[in-house]
Amino acid sequence: MRLSDLLEFAWRVVRGAPGRALLTLLAMGIGVAAVVLVTSLGEGARLYVASQFGSLGTNLIIVLPGRSETAGAMPGVLVGKTSRDLTLEDALALKSSHAVRRLAPLIVGAGDIRVGARNREVPVLGSTAELMDIRSMEMARGHFLPAGDPRNSQPVCVLGAKVASEMFGSNAALGEWVRVGDRRFRVIGIMARQGESLGTNTDEIVIVPLAAAQALFNTEALFRVLVEAKSREQIADAKADAEEIIRLRHEGERDVTVITQDAVLATFDRILRALTLAVGSLAAISLAVAGILIMNVMLIAVTQRRREIGLLKALGATGQQIRLAFFTEAVLLALGGAIVGLIAGELGRSIVVQMYPAIPFQAPWWALLAAPATAVVTAVLFTVAPARRAAMLDPVQALSRR
Amino acid sequence: MIRLTGIARTFLVGGEEVHALRAVDLEIARGEYLSIMGPSGSGKSTLLNIIGLLDRPNAGTYELDARDVTALSDDELARVRREKIGFVFQFFHLVPRLTALQNIELPMVLAGIDPAERKRRLARLLAEYGLEGRAGHRPDQLSGGQCQRVAIARAMSMGPTVILADEPTGNLDRHTGQEVLNVLEQVHHNGGTVVIVTHDPEIGARSHRRLRVLDGAVVSDERD
Repeated sequence: MRLSDLLEFAWRVVRGAPGRALLTLLAMGIGVAAVVLVTSLGEGARLYVASQFGSLGTNLIIVLPGRSETAGAMPGVLVGKTSRDLTLEDALALKSSHAVRRLAPLIVGAGDIRVGARNREVPVLGSTAELMDIRSMEMARGHFLPAGDPRNSQPVCVLGAKVASEMFGSNAALGEWVRVGDRRFRVIGIMARQGESLGTNTDEIVIVPLAAAQALFNTEALFRVLVEAKSREQIADAKADAEEIIRLRHEGERDVTVITQDAVLATFDRILRALTLAVGSLAAISLAVAGILIMNVMLIAVTQRRREIGLLKALGATGQQIRLAFFTEAVLLALGGAIVGLIAGELGRSIVVQMYPAIPFQAPWWALLAAPATAVVTAVLFTVAPARRAAMLDPVQALSRR
Repeated sequence: MIRLTGIARTFLVGGEEVHALRAVDLEIARGEYLSIMGPSGSGKSTLLNIIGLLDRPNAGTYELDARDVTALSDDELARVRREKIGFVFQFFHLVPRLTALQNIELPMVLAGIDPAERKRRLARLLAEYGLEGRAGHRPDQLSGGQCQRVAIARAMSMGPTVILADEPTGNLDRHTGQEVLNVLEQVHHNGGTVVIVTHDPEIGARSHRRLRVLDGAVVSDERD
């Protein structure tokens, strides 16, 4: 039997029973659509997290005080011993590494900001001029912190967009004085709106020079140091250098943790990928259910078409040909269902994208291949038994029954 | 051409052995027009099924065109059926979703014959059996006589050694039955071998050799 004849024969069978075909198409379609939709949600989440990390700045290394002995533990919190503070001098020493382009030490605290009678509590960030480039920040008006020796404290500050509008309303804020804690700062810049970025909303913070923050919070200890490597390839060098430099400065003790953005991103990436795969597999169970439906439909077809099968055998069809005819029919149904499902899944995805435009929902390529492949494979597997039964029909009995 | 030697066939019915055929010897030569008659349950259909390789004997040997086909596998039997046997059934057994043309084409499709060659043979078969105007009709749009003509054309499509007709007029009125018999006799005149199983003595009388089967044995074998 020629392939084209086989396809034509199976196609006529499918067309000859439109209700049955529709039912299987629907079951397969729902399964495939579910896989496509669910994996697009997972993949969208993964891409969203990746882009969020990207907005933190590129080639970023973060140096934290405290040493985590166990991977994944919160450094400095779970260690249980007091570690040496990370100081500004430590941070500046990192500049001696050839792999480091620039760095920004950070101190974080909460403070009251007051303008006239208005008063609110804001997160206060102490840092240096280089923070702007490392974190890819943009200014709406004015300037960022002035460059210069970070040990010098100048009474200037930069306001987040929301803080500026809350404290000053429609009045011009640039050049005005604000009071943060017990010190006065002149507003020299207002940041552009950036929105939330991994939990930190730069619209709602006040940035002051590092030395001013040290005085404000009465501490020498840095919250962390953001280090930017010269290139992606030099991230590992910069990390090793940072660890070594701090170790030498801390009398040989490794009491800081250096994490790379890559490592954090890779962890998130792995988690979300595994999640997508797991949820996608759950959706694939619906494909197995559809496979069982196909098996039922085929078993009914074998009973309904007993006479036809007997006739085909009388006309000289081998068992192999009968089996092939059933498999071809099942594959046609599964492929049809897969196409319906891919279209439905894509429609569903575009609806979700309309609802949440910020998240790049997109089915991963492997799901687009695996869903139809699973549909076809289950269809074939579940047709084995009906096809066998058909091929083993006794033609005399099959033909004699009316 | 067809030689049955000591063919026996038993069925188990409710734990009891039923002898449908007991040691049948039969030879059929090329170009014969033979009828097998006998009452219901006499074993005539079993004999036809064994000649048609749809059923296997429990004992005896069957030679078809000088080849022992008794011990062939199922798939080999299917191939021999495809090439050498043409069936015509009482209830036509046309595939309802296929047109007359597609029904006639079926054995050639199963045999994997080249589409151009199929087209050539189909044109000839349609003309020969007066079905040119009916090629695109489905069985439910055809009369009983036309259905049986389609079935005969289908049986002839592979140029078989023998045509086996099981009560070919049993489902038709008298007039149409005559018409179908004429078609089968035309096959015979063109040199084909025709074996008809029937209840009807009138049909038996038209054939050139009459076999009577009773209780699984051939009780008479008359020739003109």
